Amino acid sequence: MSDPTAATPEGRSVIHDLGYRPYTGTRMPPATIARALAVTGFRNAFGLGRSGRSKILPFVLLALNLLPAVVIGGIAAFVGLKELPIGYAEYASTTQVLLGIFVASQAPVLFSRDLRHGTISLYLARPLRSSAYAVARWTSLLAATLVFLVLPIVILYAVSLLIELDVSDQTREAAKALGLAVLLALSLTGIAGLIASWSTRRGFAVVATIALLVIANGVVTVIQGISTEPGGNTRVGEIAGLFSPYSLYRGLIGAWTGADTPTPPSSTGMELAYVAVLVGISVACLAALVARYRREATS
Amino acid sequence: MAPVVRVEHLTKDYGAVLALDALTLDVGEGTTGLVGANGAGKSTLLKILLGLIPATGGRAEVLGHDVATEGAAVRAAVGYLPEHDCLPPDVSASDFVVHMAMMSGLPRVAARERAAEVLRHVGLAEERYRPMGGYSTGMKQKAKLAQALAHDPRLVLLDEPTNGLDPAAREEMLGLVRRIGHDFGIAVIVTSHLLGELERVSDNVVVLDGGRLLRASRTDEFLDATGALLVEVLGDEAHARMAAALTGAGVAVTDRGSVLSVGATAQGLDVRDLVRDTASDLGLGLVRLQTDHRRIEDVFADDAPGASADSVPAAPVASAAPVVPAAPAAPVADTDRRAGRHRRIEGVPGE
Repeated sequence: MSDPTAATPEGRSVIHDLGYRPYTGTRMPPATIARALAVTGFRNAFGLGRSGRSKILPFVLLALNLLPAVVIGGIAAFVGLKELPIGYAEYASTTQVLLGIFVASQAPVLFSRDLRHGTISLYLARPLRSSAYAVARWTSLLAATLVFLVLPIVILYAVSLLIELDVSDQTREAAKALGLAVLLALSLTGIAGLIASWSTRRGFAVVATIALLVIANGVVTVIQGISTEPGGNTRVGEIAGLFSPYSLYRGLIGAWTGADTPTPPSSTGMELAYVAVLVGISVACLAALVARYRREATS
Repeated sequence: MAPVVRVEHLTKDYGAVLALDALTLDVGEGTTGLVGANGAGKSTLLKILLGLIPATGGRAEVLGHDVATEGAAVRAAVGYLPEHDCLPPDVSASDFVVHMAMMSGLPRVAARERAAEVLRHVGLAEERYRPMGGYSTGMKQKAKLAQALAHDPRLVLLDEPTNGLDPAAREEMLGLVRRIGHDFGIAVIVTSHLLGELERVSDNVVVLDGGRLLRASRTDEFLDATGALLVEVLGDEAHARMAAALTGAGVAVTDRGSVLSVGATAQGLDVRDLVRDTASDLGLGLVRLQTDHRRIEDVFADDAPGASADSVPAAPVASAAPVVPAAPAAPVADTDRRAGRHRRIEGVPGE
């Protein structure tokens, strides 16, 4: 009888082809699948799991966005400032162009890419419903946008602790900024995602999103500027502020943190209206996204 | 054994187009070829089977799940290879198949194992780590097939898997389809407009026309021997002399261009011996003597009006147990239109 440890008569080992082996392990429920999709999407938004080239833009933007916070931290540590030179919430307003470019350029990665390359039909032929797909994609973009908005707040907060500013004051301000960041991220994600889901061409989606954000903000800023001139009606500026995510965000900073912004909402009712519009934009865009992919599934 | 797919009176009315017209059909294990011209209802049927679009009427079951109410359960157990491009160019096949396996509910570790195994089965080696944008069409089709198999489905729907492939890649893909059905134990529904391909890989063939079932039966029943022999001889005026001699011996002969079709059911004599001896007597080189099998396109020819007076004798295909009675008689104008359609299909691989 031959030696069972010797695979061949010559004593060489061989690799056996086991043939096709069926899978008998566990299969995850749709909620777990949706979470996996959201995590992959979040990684893809920063170019992770994609080609090397696609990592450049998101990380350059992120670095540029964090640079001022790091510089402020360095100066504050050396000079020993008595307060942070920029408010937590104001930071995002200052770097809003970078934020806009980031959201506009990465939304197509999550929404246009699958439509352009037809990958959507593979997703739709899998257990996840089209609405769950849309929500998972939206969650990925929201999380990526939040990273962009929250990291500077975290850095500034760490700096404020390092230079031993009052902890309770700083924590309260940082928490407000976090809340505002969520509101801004929700609305930007909705708008950019919706535009990207209607365009199979990445360039078009990027340009359209940036144009919409910049033009709307520009028009609102001009109106607000005129309304603060002597003889102007600041009420007009307040209402104009309702028409762009950035101006809504600016208005709420002015009302809640005491930062110096043009025509912040002057009454509680108006503040509520600002919040309601931000939330409304987000909800409407998410609903439109779900409807968009439901249509895609049944066409 | 319960059928893999059961369709009863399935109707899909898009308003302007009646894509499926009260289709009733059972599909069993093994490989089933789905044939039909463009617009015959193949894609609509696949989409309804995946639970993506609702049917206007009737019902469909896949692996025991009702597609209308248990779409997610169906999609978890079915793999799908679409006809069009569906691969993101900036992702490697390896990463993509892992991701797609996870989208079917496999945990990450299991998805990695399955992806590696499936990519080996379809024959993507080192190139699996390169972005798919640089793949040839053949490699892309393999990657598409790998993602359809990644989650170990019990049924795969392959929509034109050989589309756009060169002959070598086509052979390889057909070999894979055959292995999936026979060796992997996964039921396969494969569509193609090349009938010659389906003839070789599928156990059963379903023919759709205008949203109705034209015929459904085992492939070998389609391909029954016609009771004729094909004979080819070489020499001076070989065919004419051979035909005359055989006719003189009381055997029916039809000249079909490059070959002679010889009736093999002559009264009591061995036609093969007769052919051999006749060729020898006439001093002709006998280069071919084979049983004549039907091809799937002959079935289309039979169904087209006016085509029954073909040189091929009426074979017992009509009685070869179509699952459902053939389509009811259509109005004259409609019949003509359908005949035209058959003509187009027929033209593809025939001799």
